Amino acid sequence: MTGELVGRVRDALRVVIDPELGENIVDLGFVYDIAVEAGAVRITMTATTPGCPATGFLREGAQAAASAVPGVVFADVTMTFDPAWTPDLIEPSIKASLGFAAVN
Amino acid sequence: MIGASISRWTMTYFAAALAWLFVALFMMVVGVGYPTADIASPDTLVLVHVTCIGWLSLAMCGALFQFVPVLVAKPLFAEKWALPALALLSVGLLSLLGGFLSLDGRLPTAFWSLPLGAVLLVAGFGLVVVDLGLTAWLRPTGPARFVLVGLACLGVTVVFGSFFAFALSGWAGSFGDTVLASGIPLHAIAGLGGWLTLTAMGVSYRLLAMFMLAPDVDDRQSRVTLAMGAMAVTFAVAGGALAIGLAAGLPIVLSIAALLGLVCAGLYGRDVAGIFRNRKRRQLELNMRMATLSFASLAGAALLGVALVFFDGFTPHVGAFAFLAVFGWLSGLVLAKLYKIVAFLTWLETYGPVMGRAPTPRVQDLVAENRATKWFVVYYAAVWLGTVALLAGEPTAFRVAAAAMTVGVVGIVHEIVRIRRLCDVASPLRLPAGAVPPHLLFARN
Repeated sequence: MTGELVGRVRDALRVVIDPELGENIVDLGFVYDIAVEAGAVRITMTATTPGCPATGFLREGAQAAASAVPGVVFADVTMTFDPAWTPDLIEPSIKASLGFAAVN
Repeated sequence: MIGASISRWTMTYFAAALAWLFVALFMMVVGVGYPTADIASPDTLVLVHVTCIGWLSLAMCGALFQFVPVLVAKPLFAEKWALPALALLSVGLLSLLGGFLSLDGRLPTAFWSLPLGAVLLVAGFGLVVVDLGLTAWLRPTGPARFVLVGLACLGVTVVFGSFFAFALSGWAGSFGDTVLASGIPLHAIAGLGGWLTLTAMGVSYRLLAMFMLAPDVDDRQSRVTLAMGAMAVTFAVAGGALAIGLAAGLPIVLSIAALLGLVCAGLYGRDVAGIFRNRKRRQLELNMRMATLSFASLAGAALLGVALVFFDGFTPHVGAFAFLAVFGWLSGLVLAKLYKIVAFLTWLETYGPVMGRAPTPRVQDLVAENRATKWFVVYYAAVWLGTVALLAGEPTAFRVAAAAMTVGVVGIVHEIVRIRRLCDVASPLRLPAGAVPPHLLFARN
């Protein structure tokens, strides 16, 4: 049941995109962890740049998307920049379409 | 702090700056100021200050009000100062221009106009320097350090300018006349080299790395670049002031400062090449491709300066050198980055609040790069032709080039307005439920 809710939350987070890269935060590897306990969801995620104005919107967007999932009674999102995000975290199929260098 | 807030008045600064750019272009097209008039004439003073204060400084201030909080990941010291500063700068510039025009009788003599303009500009730039300086000071590393040095240079530029304004009105005595006779190069170096160039360099480090997902330039490496630039400006201003006081040695001081400036430009080129080389996004967006033409213009200006000095032609051709630096390097970079910054901020304003609740477009969905490319190409080609026309002493050809620059800028501004109005975003993503279209001239936050 918990695993299923984590999956539904993960799917719901795909509506949140990084505006610059244009892909959703799940496929980009921004979502580090989704923990569920008695309907309370705690998401740990990152972004490309700490001070960027988009970072706050990403956090609020993830919270809104997770809160709308049936079965979720509470959603909390924590932003972290440790470890820092790298393009290695992008889904391979997305990585190629974004034009990332193979060497990176 | 997680994510800087959106600067409410940055778009207002950009709009005012672009309006002044059109004034400058109109003057060049109809032949007001250099090269039709003498480089030291009141008409040229009007053209130079419309360009450097109205266009470049307002655009830079608007960008910094948004960007310095991003650099230091801290809120702006006083967001509410931005609009009063813009009002003071705008009225101060108008008063200054009125004073210039009264110098040769185009307007009725008004001795108070220049000092009043200076006082208002000191107040306006003072608010900007304190607000941005106290914000950048919270984390004075990397690009923020460039901004701090740039702001210090802005202060020096404004002090010199105020002194000149009082001297031109006859209120600064014989000492004022002496400084006015020799000190203009110091004013120009502090403004163009210190405030505008060093700040643009610092901002570009972060913007290039952020939008191309490249590692930041090593702090020690960029510190050397900044040190060279800061030394060039300091040597020019402090050494130049001493030379004016001693009535000797100014050309030698300026030559040494120029050498330091050349080293700074070379190191900056190395740093920027490193960012491009190490970027993770291989495909370059239009703003990055066009920024490379600005970097080429900076390199071209440096080479032109060296060549003119070598062939003993710098003084007669200083106008061509300054034109390439101002319109190729600085204005080109500002226009290219405006195209990106406006799209990015418009996206944040419109779609940031509904993210997670509805599908949203990408930033790139707000722009039509294929259509915009030609306007940038026309602009840069016209700037380079204008530089050649100035070197060749062909004022008519220069006016034709200025007309072509105007065509390019009209095209670019039209594209920016389309971005702001979400014209190129396809339905149904254009306005999802809950999204509010942005105002053209300010952020609604």
